[in-house]
Amino acid sequence: MKRRVHPVVGVAAIVTLVLLYAPLLAVAVLSVNSARYGSVWKGFTLKWYRQLLANEDVLAAGENTLILAVASTAIATVLGTLLALGLARAPWPKWARRLLDFMVYLPLVTPDILFAGALVVAFALLRALSGAFQPGLLTMIIGHVTFQIAFVALVVGSRLASLGRQLDEAARDLYATPFYLFRRVTLPLLAPGIVAGAMLAFTLSLDDFVISFFTASPDSTTLPIYIYSSLRRGVSPELYALSTLIVLVTVVLVLSLEALTRYRKE
Amino acid sequence: MSRLMIWYGQLTTRRRLLGQGALLSGGAALWLLAFLVLPLLVMAAIAFMRHGRYGEIEWQFTLGNFRRLLGYGSFGWSADYLLILARSVWVAFVTTLLCVLLAYPLAFFIASRSRGTRYVLLGIVMVPFCTNLVIRAFGWAVLLRHDMPLARLAQWLGLLPDGMGIYPGPLAVYLGMVSSELPFAVLPLYVSVERLDWSLIEAAQDLYASRTRVFAHAILPQTLPGLLAATILTFIPAMGAFVVPDLLGGAKYMLVGNLIQQQFGPGRDLPFGAAVSLALLVLTLAGLFLLRGHGKEGSAVDAA
Amino acid sequence: MRSSVLAVFVACVVWGCSQSEKVPDAPGQPKKPRVTVYMYSEYIAPELPKEFEKQTGMPVKIDVYENTEEMMAKLQRAGGVSQYDVVVVSDHAIPVLAKLDLLQPLNLEKIPNAKNVSGQFKSPPYDPGSKYSLPYQWGTVGLMVRKDKAPQAEPTWALLFDAEKQPGPFVLIDSMRDMLGVALKSLGHSVNSRKPEELKAASEAVLRAKKSPKCLGFEGGVGGKNKVADGTATLAVVYNGDAIKAIEENKGLGYILPKEGSIIWVDAMTIPAKAPNVEGAHAFINFILGAEAGAKLSDFNRYATPNAASLPLVKKEDRENPAIYPPQEELKKLEYIEDVGDATRLYDEVWTAAKAR
Repeated sequence: MKRRVHPVVGVAAIVTLVLLYAPLLAVAVLSVNSARYGSVWKGFTLKWYRQLLANEDVLAAGENTLILAVASTAIATVLGTLLALGLARAPWPKWARRLLDFMVYLPLVTPDILFAGALVVAFALLRALSGAFQPGLLTMIIGHVTFQIAFVALVVGSRLASLGRQLDEAARDLYATPFYLFRRVTLPLLAPGIVAGAMLAFTLSLDDFVISFFTASPDSTTLPIYIYSSLRRGVSPELYALSTLIVLVTVVLVLSLEALTRYRKE
Repeated sequence: MSRLMIWYGQLTTRRRLLGQGALLSGGAALWLLAFLVLPLLVMAAIAFMRHGRYGEIEWQFTLGNFRRLLGYGSFGWSADYLLILARSVWVAFVTTLLCVLLAYPLAFFIASRSRGTRYVLLGIVMVPFCTNLVIRAFGWAVLLRHDMPLARLAQWLGLLPDGMGIYPGPLAVYLGMVSSELPFAVLPLYVSVERLDWSLIEAAQDLYASRTRVFAHAILPQTLPGLLAATILTFIPAMGAFVVPDLLGGAKYMLVGNLIQQQFGPGRDLPFGAAVSLALLVLTLAGLFLLRGHGKEGSAVDAA
Repeated sequence: MRSSVLAVFVACVVWGCSQSEKVPDAPGQPKKPRVTVYMYSEYIAPELPKEFEKQTGMPVKIDVYENTEEMMAKLQRAGGVSQYDVVVVSDHAIPVLAKLDLLQPLNLEKIPNAKNVSGQFKSPPYDPGSKYSLPYQWGTVGLMVRKDKAPQAEPTWALLFDAEKQPGPFVLIDSMRDMLGVALKSLGHSVNSRKPEELKAASEAVLRAKKSPKCLGFEGGVGGKNKVADGTATLAVVYNGDAIKAIEENKGLGYILPKEGSIIWVDAMTIPAKAPNVEGAHAFINFILGAEAGAKLSDFNRYATPNAASLPLVKKEDRENPAIYPPQEELKKLEYIEDVGDATRLYDEVWTAAKAR
């Protein structure tokens, strides 16, 4: 339902959105600039896009990035939501609650590098048990899920907390079974939180560098690793083309998702 | 022990509830235990070890790493490491403040739109986040170059010496940090704002409360869980940030993230790196507990 | 509707797990085992791996890293020691890697072309007897300058450290040993000094330079070169090969090897302790040390070749370019960066001091 907001709020919001998109626009402009260095406009060209699509390394990296993000987000959303539910909907004794809370906050509080270090230690130990834990896509997925769980749990938990008990109690008064209650009341109300959590987890995975780096093998390079490595070399405009493409694809996805929801309602 | 109780309208026993809870949370808890908690404990142990000549770890207990952190280096006492920690806290604090200030209006704006538009707007907020951090930083670097309009304006206004750009510099760093942390702040805040009980706000307005009072007493308490989550999700990464400050600030000032990265790299002093990380962890946990204590009255995060 | 969402989730999870067994990307199944090489980016002429494959039937996969720390972390902690066959490393890392048992000694009988290596690189200080390594390329550290903005630039490090001599915005190099080494040289000390007073003085020089309003900060690798190339900076600390490549595109740039002396660096080929394809590793090293391969390599990289047999085949203009092959008097003033053992801690502290204040 639409509400009126103070014009200042609206202006501030627009300014913030501009702030978010300004660098992306700069990158998009650079991606069609035929100059290799600097920001001088030397003419429109699509050659960077052509070079990009012919670059096997980048395409392989992109593929790995997507696979990694989808797989880890799926696992983490499930585990994280369950964690949030179990945490909020059981009468834990104080010590247990503190402990669980601590474990949920830990991934958030840990700096990337320390996190990666911990994972390396974990996998070094696990490699003694089974060769499956060689650096590669599996270890990367495990690494990503580990930090994603906390984010999902936090977002879903925050949403869960604001739901309160009244609805549950009202539904129970009307003789709803626990499963029915969950399926028809809790889950739909929780849905925005779960979706938000999943989206957050997905984007975190896409953008992650440090953790991916320490758990990757030469065959499982991801885009952030590739891009960050290029930093030292000097950024080729191919990467600007890549980013612009990613933005375009994401915008299309978002818009189609919204169109889908509208269609479903009708 | 098997006393019956009413829980969320359900008649059940405490034991059964805990069993359900354990089943639900067990998977994630075990995962975190195995891949995070235990290895971190190992690393914490390493912080108390000496480091060998070639970067190996010598398993001998020592407090030397922490003494060094407090400033007792080879050249007598110096505040360098404490300076680094302080600077990181400051940068993180300013970034978080700016993020929250910008996220609130945005969250409100989104929540005030129609249902369909909301998801689109949320998507729009998330899209820049899908691009790589480094690329976005480069985008800012280009926008803030010495020969681009923004910098030229600053030069003309006398804010900058001729020929120098806003990049590299502190303002560039904050712009980069805020634009990369903003989605972290907007999402949780939006989740809270969406569930706002507008009747309270309208009631306050009906009673002729000034805007600040409306905000402080009607809006703020209700959005506290979201605000808390937003602060945490912004402050923590900002504390450990080193990529954006390096890229946009010219790497002139070392932050905690750089320090840790250096120990794992050229310094080859894993125990000292672990000690610095431990210090960082402790600092942030302390800040967190303070925050949670403050927000406890209004916080619904640990309801039940 | 909800059950279909669940089904999608489960499918993603299962699919995701199955992807971890994915066969590595290789065009077709290699008949002979491949050789995996780990080196700096853009460091090999693209035709060389293909030639090697034609000659030996073994395909080559090149994986890249951007700095020594990344490489060492990969080898030491992230399993790289058993994933790569040949690793091209910077000289100062070799003694450390050797001590950590991450390298295996070379079997020189399998590398007949080792005889091509120039005399000065045959038994270098960082690897006596060439036990673990054979040189790949070598070069120097110096200054790149915009000749139009700084026409009178003297060949001295004081251009960085002396406020009166700074010609314009400048970039320092974000590498502890290289930057401190440059500062030490400017003060007349050795780049491997272990004396606290000398290190302290070097650190203060770097700090003063950093605080200058003309300093644009620190950049790693090619960052400084790029800033000079696109006009943001007038001066930067660079590696000579990068400078040469930039000068090719813009004749208004110049490379200076300061008179106080500088750093000579060598990148060398090594074989990790648990390399999967040891035969292939030796074959690859031997191939690179061939006269023609060495010349093609240097022509592409614009760095100097350590290969005496390749030298006559290198492009004439490069051979006569003092920026790539400095004359004897300059060579004498160049020092290798050596591992300083316990004193690394001192370097780390003074570097932190310069960066933190």
